[in-house]
Amino acid sequence: MDHRILTFAFMEPPFESERTVTFFRLLDAALAQGAGVRVFAYEGAVALAFARQAPHGNAVHGRDAEQEAHPLSKDWIAALQAKAAEKGLTFEWINCGLCVDERGVNEVIDGCGRGGPPDLWRYAATAFNTLTIGTR
Amino acid sequence: MKVLQVIDQAFRTTVEEQDDTILWLTQSMRGAGGELTVLLGGHGVYYGLQTQTQPALQLGDWQQSAPADLPRDLTQLLESGVPVYVILDDVTERGLSPQALRPGVQGIRRDELAALYDSVDQVWQW
Amino acid sequence: MSGYLFIQSQDPFTEARTTHQFALARQLFAAGHAVRLLLVQNGVTPARQGAQTPYFDALLRDGIPVSADDFSLRQRQIGDADLKAAVTVAPISTVIDALLDGNKVIWN
Repeated sequence: MDHRILTFAFMEPPFESERTVTFFRLLDAALAQGAGVRVFAYEGAVALAFARQAPHGNAVHGRDAEQEAHPLSKDWIAALQAKAAEKGLTFEWINCGLCVDERGVNEVIDGCGRGGPPDLWRYAATAFNTLTIGTR
Repeated sequence: MKVLQVIDQAFRTTVEEQDDTILWLTQSMRGAGGELTVLLGGHGVYYGLQTQTQPALQLGDWQQSAPADLPRDLTQLLESGVPVYVILDDVTERGLSPQALRPGVQGIRRDELAALYDSVDQVWQW
Repeated sequence: MSGYLFIQSQDPFTEARTTHQFALARQLFAAGHAVRLLLVQNGVTPARQGAQTPYFDALLRDGIPVSADDFSLRQRQIGDADLKAAVTVAPISTVIDALLDGNKVIWN
């Protein structure tokens, strides 16, 4: 696949920060513009790919789980994987393994792997450009 | 590829992770051959003046046994060839003394940052 | 000279650090670098007309191009007509363009 690849490093967990939404919008935009994507998920961000995320209803608004259709970051990742596949673009996701262990989020969705800081350096060194988004 | 690691927070993870997670990340990438420079600004300047291990936390009968050792981490970074800069303006605005910067750490004025940013290929702000 | 895009998520109402962030952008611009800001999330709030944000306004007076993310503006019901004159509206793809142009893209 002859296309430029962008590396993103991210630290926010799901559900706690607007940064998470902007991050996923950036990944979507990258694919839309024909760039491949490699993500190094560090610290809280390793929970984004956790396979056991589950939707729930919303009694305050009178909606059951199906009606609420609660966003789950694992579904966002899957949607981006599908978009990349459809366009023939790279989409790789590595979680920092030690960060996974301490959080107990070892079950991840297909297509997401485990690694460490040398992988961030490898991703960045071989990418066209890199963006890091920390946490507050 | 030269990367500037910008750290302007401090003590957010030093208890739970027993490390500053970005200093740790930097050490690990350096071990993998990364060409890195660290810029400590904001509350991160505190790391450039630390002389003691972090206090160990106790909760009930849980006692921390390996608290973060930031002076050790700065030493390891410096000895591995990672330059460490501290923003002097941020030191003085916090009532800290530039004279207390640990050996090897380089002070840099805010009005000198543009040149530092331009000297690297990428700036990774955490 | 390098090109810089600062993705500005922090805002001057809640983050004192933005004073220095804006100053660095101005410093790089004054040194001759191509510098732009894309405001995102609460970072768009100083772009609203009447927002009392002297350090942010100084960026605009310098002529540094400042855009605001369309999605973040819509969330806060800030319309195009509500923005300070020098601020433009931009899509998030602006970041990808900058990355693919080889700019130094920095998240504040």
